[in-house]
Amino acid sequence: MTDIADLRPDRMLSVREVFGIDTELQVPAFSERDDHVPEVDAVYRFNPDVTLAILAGFMRDRRVMVQGLHGTGKSTHIEQVAARLNWPCVRLNLDGHISRLDLVGKDAVVLREGQQVTEFQEGIVPWSLQRPVALVFDEYDAGRPDVMFVIQRILEQGGKFTLMDQNRVLRPHPFFRLFATANTVGLGNLNGLYHGAQRLNHAQIDRWNIVASLNYLPAGEEIAIVQARVPSLADEAGRQLVASMVAVADLTRKGFAAGDLSTLMSPRTVITWAENVEIFKNPALAFRLSFVNKCDDAERPLVAEYFQRCFDQELKESHQLSSGSHE
Amino acid sequence: MTDAPAPATASASAMQRRVRQEEQVAELCAGVVRAFSGERDLHFRGRRLHRGRVALPWFAPHLHPSPETDDFASFRGVADGLALRLTVSDAALHESLRPEDPVERMLFEMLEQFRAEAMAPDVMAGMRRNLRHRHEQWSLAFHHSGLTDTARGLLLYAVAQICRARVSGQQVVEETEDMLEATRFHLAPLIGHALAGLRRDRADQAAYAVHALAIARTVATMLHEAGEDSSDAHDPHVDDKRSVFMLVADMDREIVERFTTAESGRSAVLDDAGGAYRVFSDAYDREHDAATLARKEVLAGHREKLDRRIAVQGVNIARLARELRALLADPTRDGWDGGQEEGLIDGRRLAQLVASPTERRLFRTEHLEPVADCIVTLLIDCSGSMKEHAESVAMMADVFARALEQAGAASEVLGFTTGAWNGGRAQREWVRAGKPPQPGRLNERCHIVFKAAATPWRRARPAMAALLKADLFREGIDGEAVDWACARLRQRPEARKLLLVISDGSPMDSATHLANDAHYLDHHLRDVVARQEQRRDIEIAGIGVGLDLSPYYSRSHVLDLAASTGNTIFREVIDLMAGRHRR
Repeated sequence: MTDIADLRPDRMLSVREVFGIDTELQVPAFSERDDHVPEVDAVYRFNPDVTLAILAGFMRDRRVMVQGLHGTGKSTHIEQVAARLNWPCVRLNLDGHISRLDLVGKDAVVLREGQQVTEFQEGIVPWSLQRPVALVFDEYDAGRPDVMFVIQRILEQGGKFTLMDQNRVLRPHPFFRLFATANTVGLGNLNGLYHGAQRLNHAQIDRWNIVASLNYLPAGEEIAIVQARVPSLADEAGRQLVASMVAVADLTRKGFAAGDLSTLMSPRTVITWAENVEIFKNPALAFRLSFVNKCDDAERPLVAEYFQRCFDQELKESHQLSSGSHE
Repeated sequence: MTDAPAPATASASAMQRRVRQEEQVAELCAGVVRAFSGERDLHFRGRRLHRGRVALPWFAPHLHPSPETDDFASFRGVADGLALRLTVSDAALHESLRPEDPVERMLFEMLEQFRAEAMAPDVMAGMRRNLRHRHEQWSLAFHHSGLTDTARGLLLYAVAQICRARVSGQQVVEETEDMLEATRFHLAPLIGHALAGLRRDRADQAAYAVHALAIARTVATMLHEAGEDSSDAHDPHVDDKRSVFMLVADMDREIVERFTTAESGRSAVLDDAGGAYRVFSDAYDREHDAATLARKEVLAGHREKLDRRIAVQGVNIARLARELRALLADPTRDGWDGGQEEGLIDGRRLAQLVASPTERRLFRTEHLEPVADCIVTLLIDCSGSMKEHAESVAMMADVFARALEQAGAASEVLGFTTGAWNGGRAQREWVRAGKPPQPGRLNERCHIVFKAAATPWRRARPAMAALLKADLFREGIDGEAVDWACARLRQRPEARKLLLVISDGSPMDSATHLANDAHYLDHHLRDVVARQEQRRDIEIAGIGVGLDLSPYYSRSHVLDLAASTGNTIFREVIDLMAGRHRR
């Protein structure tokens, strides 16, 4: 088996053919599938703008950050693009527990010929940097400040990376690519939805060449996604049901924007709901179990109102039922 | 008072329950309108939809349900109608097309609303049903009130039914279908062409308006003719009912105040003075420390009574404090947590590593502590009518002060009343001066500090009991008190400032009312609150004791002190502080 470091993109793919976007662009791709290449999800639907942004990252070595609310499929989007290009891809969750040493590498005690010796073990950053790998930092805005400055050095294109305790300077592999996903644009937890999101150093944000925003899709797209995920709803009756579900989700999102709700339905929740409908055969029950119970008690009657509008059914939490028959 | 007549209390609490029901319904409806239209600052104030501080037009007659006669589904239908109207109808275009004649204008307005309702999305089955339900309710109410017995009423009713059926593609209301036949037959040649266009052009407001205007003009002419040669226009009985449905031109912006729940209005005197509020004499204004208002023994007795009441309520203060902390506190960096297995290296522990190399707890992490950099002021209306609620209010204030202290937030408990009834010395001075006209506020203002921010709850305990002192409760001058409380808040260093005004009514001072005009003080209160809200450094909310204070405060909530048990009251106040009630 060849080392991944020796791989090179060896063919060009037409963006029109692979991603269905009307453009003449050609994108470099690998013909060999390494272990690090993600699995292809055949029913994944690409958002054209975000896809182009990510492709620019692959083609022209741009640093691309995908920003958007949770459950919109930001990381999956990058992964699926990589999967179709056979480009090795490594995802790293920048939660609060990733330390500098994890990223850069550290001295560790290893056994060599029966002897205990300390040896430097490369962290994920130097490893990826020397290989044709798309490195994806997930939850970029949850990373700790001290960690972020490690990343800052490799954000520069062709930026050399110095391993100080090794006295080595690493040159990035020409097909190393860097991506990030984040819920906020580095401004911290403004709406109270993303606890743990850090306010990012502006010098950091400045080094990202492209910031693509993946927001909730148009209703038609979202319906198609849910139907693709839950095949039992793929018929016309299913379409009606899913359309109403997406309408509820849309109301929760606007209700959230208006400050009425503190939770909102992501596309992922809609899919979960649809899957639960498959299990329980009852949209109202499935809705309660997949979303309503995540909401604050005080907000449930309003969610029940949204549900009534779209399904013409009462939830248990509805004001109609709680206030007695006369009201 | 144990010998108070029980039925009165029961009906009062029933009334309060009803007001609260109404408030919940309005809150839910407004929530749906906001979510559907995507506009965040829509809310009901005094039963009318507002965008921010601006009242929206009245819209069509069927969008004004009455809580007494209409059911919840009807309110839902109205909310959906309003939401659609705001979403699919261009208000500026509508305004520019609106005819001059009041009757025509009403018809045109109604037709535009029908168009908006016909645009309800297909996926929202419940919304379509609500709209239909509201239409039937309104139609039947109209019919059963006897309005269809008159020629004009029947004509108007028939036009509404036929046009809505046409534009929405739904059936006319079954019960009255036969009754319409003659009118329909009569109308067909006159408006048939325009009717046909209604459904075809329903997606295009401007094109639709051409047909709608034609119908409005034709029907208005017919109505005028019918009105002139029939005598029923002068029948007071019919007139009365007609006003219920607002058949004619009273959809303009001026008639807002009639529907507000707390009594309020504009003061001509204050308007003439350009809003400049006057105080006749401040020589007798006092600010008291509550502890000095009664003898120690009396306060101790009151305190005992209050403590018993609090014990009976069974309030979980620790839990309340936790909720308040969650609401008010922000995590703040506060030192370090040492001895961690990961984090930043703690230099002081390196020696330990040398001594025992297996020791791994060498790191430290930042320690975050929720700190409530916040002050909450409770401003209590101590006017006469509040006397019966004094115990509940005192209990609430006391528990809140304690819970806030546990949550690490500061609190103030303030009260306002007057030093005398009917103006006292200030009024006598005014009489001696020869009763100059429009003297402004005419009473001895009395502000009471029950608990200052700097006083710990434990030390303020006796003073808080002064709230039970019955002879304290006289009249109330709310506007000045709000200004006073805000000024005190601004002197405090805390970053976040909340003011909760607890009151059961409009400002009341008979001397001022008599010497100026009836709405002098409440007009001033509205001005003060609007001004203070605009500065945005203090969050102001009104807690109405059995009364809707929404005409004064943009955030308010009705509290049912008689029916609720302790914990619900606090839950509701916390919701109000969290901004979950937003009227």
